[in-house]
Amino acid sequence: MAKVTVDGRTVEVPDTANALEACREAGVDVPHFCYHPKLSIVGQCRMCMVEIEGMPKVQASCTVPVRDGMVIQASSERARAARNATMEFLLINHPLDCPICDQAGECKLQDNAFDAGLPVSRMAEVRRLIPGYERTPIGPHVVADMTRCIQCTRCIRFCNEITETGELSFVERGGHTFVWTHEGKELANDLSACAADVCPVGALTVKEFRFRKRVWWLDKTRSVCDGCEIGCNVSLEHKDRIVYRTTPRVQPAVNDYWICDYGRFRSERLNEPGYTRPVVKGPGGEAKETNWGEALDAVRAALGRALENDASKVVVLGSAHLSTEENWLLARLFRDSLKVRNLEFRVDEGPARRMKRGKEWIHGTEAAPNSRGAEAVGIRRSRNGDGSALDLFLSRKNPPPAVLYIADATFSDRASDPAFVSLLRSASVLIVHARVKNALSEAADVVLPAANLSGKEGTFVNFEGRVQRFDAAIVPPPVVRTDLEILLHLGKRFGAFETGWTASDVFSRMKATVPGYAGLDWNSDDLVGNPPSTSLTSAYDVLGFERRPGEAVFSRLSVVAADVKP
Amino acid sequence: MAGLDPVPPVLTARVGTPGSRKLEGYVADGGYASWRKVLAGSSTGEWTPAKVTEMVKASGLRGRGGAGFPCGMKWTFVPPKEKRGGKPVYLLCNADESEPGTFKDRVLIEEDPHQVLEGMMLASFALDVKHAYVYIRGEMWKGAAVLNEAVAEAEAAGLLGKNVLGSGVDLDITVHRGGGAYICGEETALIESLEGKRGHPRIKPPFPAVWGVWGCPTVVNNVETLACVKHVVDRGADWFKGIGRNDRNTGPKLYCISGHVEKPGVYEAPIGIPWERLLEMAGGVRGGRKLKAVIPGGASAPMLTAAEIAGVPMDFDGLAAAKSMFGSAAIIVMDEMTDMAKAVTNISKFFAHESCGQCTPCREGTPWLNKMLKRIVAGGGKKADVEMLLSVANQMANGMTICVFADAAVAPVLSGVAKFREEFEAYVAKAGAPEYGLAAPGEVSAKVAGRTAAGMHD
Amino acid sequence: MSGGANTPLGELPGNPHAGEHGARSCGHPVSFSPATKAAFDRLLARYPTKQAALLPTLWLAQKELGWISREAVDYVASLLSLSPAFVWGVVTFYTMYNRAPVGEHLIQFCTSISCHLNGAEKVYAACRKKLGDLAPGGTTPDGKYTVVEVECLAQCDKAPAVQVNEDDFFYVTEEKLDDFLKGLK
Repeated sequence: MAKVTVDGRTVEVPDTANALEACREAGVDVPHFCYHPKLSIVGQCRMCMVEIEGMPKVQASCTVPVRDGMVIQASSERARAARNATMEFLLINHPLDCPICDQAGECKLQDNAFDAGLPVSRMAEVRRLIPGYERTPIGPHVVADMTRCIQCTRCIRFCNEITETGELSFVERGGHTFVWTHEGKELANDLSACAADVCPVGALTVKEFRFRKRVWWLDKTRSVCDGCEIGCNVSLEHKDRIVYRTTPRVQPAVNDYWICDYGRFRSERLNEPGYTRPVVKGPGGEAKETNWGEALDAVRAALGRALENDASKVVVLGSAHLSTEENWLLARLFRDSLKVRNLEFRVDEGPARRMKRGKEWIHGTEAAPNSRGAEAVGIRRSRNGDGSALDLFLSRKNPPPAVLYIADATFSDRASDPAFVSLLRSASVLIVHARVKNALSEAADVVLPAANLSGKEGTFVNFEGRVQRFDAAIVPPPVVRTDLEILLHLGKRFGAFETGWTASDVFSRMKATVPGYAGLDWNSDDLVGNPPSTSLTSAYDVLGFERRPGEAVFSRLSVVAADVKP
Repeated sequence: MAGLDPVPPVLTARVGTPGSRKLEGYVADGGYASWRKVLAGSSTGEWTPAKVTEMVKASGLRGRGGAGFPCGMKWTFVPPKEKRGGKPVYLLCNADESEPGTFKDRVLIEEDPHQVLEGMMLASFALDVKHAYVYIRGEMWKGAAVLNEAVAEAEAAGLLGKNVLGSGVDLDITVHRGGGAYICGEETALIESLEGKRGHPRIKPPFPAVWGVWGCPTVVNNVETLACVKHVVDRGADWFKGIGRNDRNTGPKLYCISGHVEKPGVYEAPIGIPWERLLEMAGGVRGGRKLKAVIPGGASAPMLTAAEIAGVPMDFDGLAAAKSMFGSAAIIVMDEMTDMAKAVTNISKFFAHESCGQCTPCREGTPWLNKMLKRIVAGGGKKADVEMLLSVANQMANGMTICVFADAAVAPVLSGVAKFREEFEAYVAKAGAPEYGLAAPGEVSAKVAGRTAAGMHD
Repeated sequence: MSGGANTPLGELPGNPHAGEHGARSCGHPVSFSPATKAAFDRLLARYPTKQAALLPTLWLAQKELGWISREAVDYVASLLSLSPAFVWGVVTFYTMYNRAPVGEHLIQFCTSISCHLNGAEKVYAACRKKLGDLAPGGTTPDGKYTVVEVECLAQCDKAPAVQVNEDDFFYVTEEKLDDFLKGLK
């Protein structure tokens, strides 16, 4: 560890820290652009200038490794003057695009200019333009506008060091330098939109978010991606009940600063219209919207009859899309109270997903986030040929169930497949929780409208057993309820639960008996993760020192991609 | 001063003689005798790497590429073998000569390549180098061809390769052509370029001697410096030290003189001869005109007026004392008819073209200065422009950038405007001296430089 | 530039085809001749990393193909296991790699300070005028001459200095321009 004094305040930092990080630790946020905790140090932007005792010239603080006893003047007149100078240089050719630029409100250039800029411009020359490279998609999810580029190379380094795909490079030289792909190639890796995240200005922006919402209107809620079992931490950004975008939430234990394109753009579906009232099919098969009372009474009645007859003819499916709390309630109700033994879940093997954590890739293979949570509460994982009730039913070894209760109508992609649905439909009574219409929900006898991820809170267990909490961003449209509430109300009709429980209450009750949950605290940082970034381009909102012991400050990598196919 | 008495040429002794490029002639003139003696003595212990390094240190040889750093001392920055973690040491000969006004390395390479190669061999011995490279600028097609042929000759004669002359020493030299970039003359940019990348200078520290090409200890030496190394080993440190103005400025020096002189060319003389002697060697100012200004060390050096260069010893310390720099000893002479504003504009174009573009002050500042200057000499100058030039130039250098290219780029602007201000003001006056229309230049720049605008090139 | 700031994304121009700064296509895939490939293999042996051979390999490509096309970039990138974007970044950093076919005689006028002091800019302008009012960097319609401006060629004592392809020419003043051009036939 090294003791460093910044503007009179002494702090202790790891030996592998740099002066910029030491300033941060001391509470001095030195403006910067090219520095990013997860990318190599280049010291190019020259924004983070400070004075360091013993060094006669101003220094770019990110390039100076700390030394025990270092004394930094981050706010001296000379340091400020140096930053003023850099800011002036950055603004002489930067277009006055703020009114039409998505980055406004989370733009490092705006923020740093506010901090370190001068109130007037002295530039009277013709500005540098890059015609043909403005407002152009550079990949399926990223729009490039190179007149705005400040040549910080964060995007280039991201593609070289994080995704290791090397799509981007500087072209030209000197004042004409900008960033582009090779002709005919796109910025198209599986984390491509993160390049727009790291861009401190509006030179790279996310296409899907273009002109959608000014960022200062967005409310940000902590959530966890439900695309696969990696469990990347995200922030749902919404206003007036519409989710405008998902951004990554910093989490070194899972996804660092990143989110894959698939996970990021899943949020598009959170705004899809769906069921707003329960639906019950009449004796003639005609679907009729009704109210919760009637719908749940109908479910109670159907279950009651079936259980009286033969409980083994009731099959209940939990889901890896549901939170652990919801799965637990399902198990409490059906297995514990109603003695239903056929309580299972099935999860699709998804397309392979991956995420970069530190220097390693972690992988997701399932199409849902919480298969481990479902297992942890004792719901059996069902696969083809394993002799589970669902397997025996689907393979027609067993007769169709009297009641098939599916707590998630999207538990599998096959729920949109008419052939699969008609097999499930052979059950005498088919009850589903659903948000949006699909073939399965249309075939069901009872549809209980359930909220999507944006409308509920709970925990998921990720591929490494990490329990992560997500919060409700938006109150679901009336009269949609969360799966938790549906199960509580259903359970009440059987005398199994009280209805006033929140997800937190369920969590407290289930902790003792669910593996992996003992001793956890609903409000702990570990469960909740980091807050959403106030500005995604901000390099280090919540984290301190990313560098592992022994890792040099200068990890300038030669370019990349020995395995890139040309 | 005895050290300044004319001596017979050493570096250019063989230039212009028949067969000067060929191995045969070189050997006939005593070439490679030092290489042989050092290799032979390496097994008996008579010659060690440390001995060669000590000789070079004792000779007082200072780098001839522009920085003037003591060569022997630079070599000692390479960590000893036990502290290198098994990494090899590399020697890179900097033949990227691109500083405007400089053309001495070209002469050495094209006319007496073996001299340079032998210097490289001796330096490689001193530094425990097995693989050495000559980084030669792409535009020197002829020089590269000559060097390649010389390397082939040396290899064929067993002077390079494995177990050279049975000494156990391995050494190969590869000629590596650049692609056209002045910045690749900066040692870390040269290293980046050799590694196969854009020539962006690196942050220092770490210094190349510790962490250079491919992460290994590296020494980058100029062509002329390495040629001097050969002569130091040939004739001894004392001989070298005996030439030149004093202990800190030693050895024979190649002076490039161009511009408005009668006989532009490369002139060899003891380092530290007075300005007047050098000008006389070049035949004086062209056409009998009066001297107006001199850029003494390549385009990056602050310019001096005729009065300021009078009597100045032409070496590192002499020009530093005159508030300029010796650099690559590239002297550009400007006579009384020279339009100084246009000259400064021309130099600013060079720097704007050659900036690598990696860091903000230089990338944005060099074109800004060029645009302002072009506008001024085209008749569009405004009242506060001259102050603006100084202000912008003053906030680009002095630690603001990764390398000293920015410091080089602002020197001609700062010195040119300081010493010939009336010429710039005349352009502005001719344009009617309109108001700038913006706030007056701030004092930002002066604070960065830690000095006032008036004393900006102290 | 089509469309204003609010142009719907679907109507934005796509990645500009052969944009001013992009690699141009030569219309067909390229590869080295056996002789060049052999030279490349010898070259590779001189460096501890493949990447270090990039600049020399680009020289081989330019010698064989005349200029660095999009296909040449892809080929060189594949030879050295580098990303094509990276290779293009290197090509555009250095001035001497041609990004389009050049005239039979690539005439390069130095206009740095010593040559400037000897009137080089005027000679450069005069040459372009003589060859049919060529724009800076332009090529004559018959493809014989391309005329460009370059920085210091390290021939300052023989100003004005000019380089044509690989050859050096000295003292190319306005008076000597006609003879100089005649000599390039």
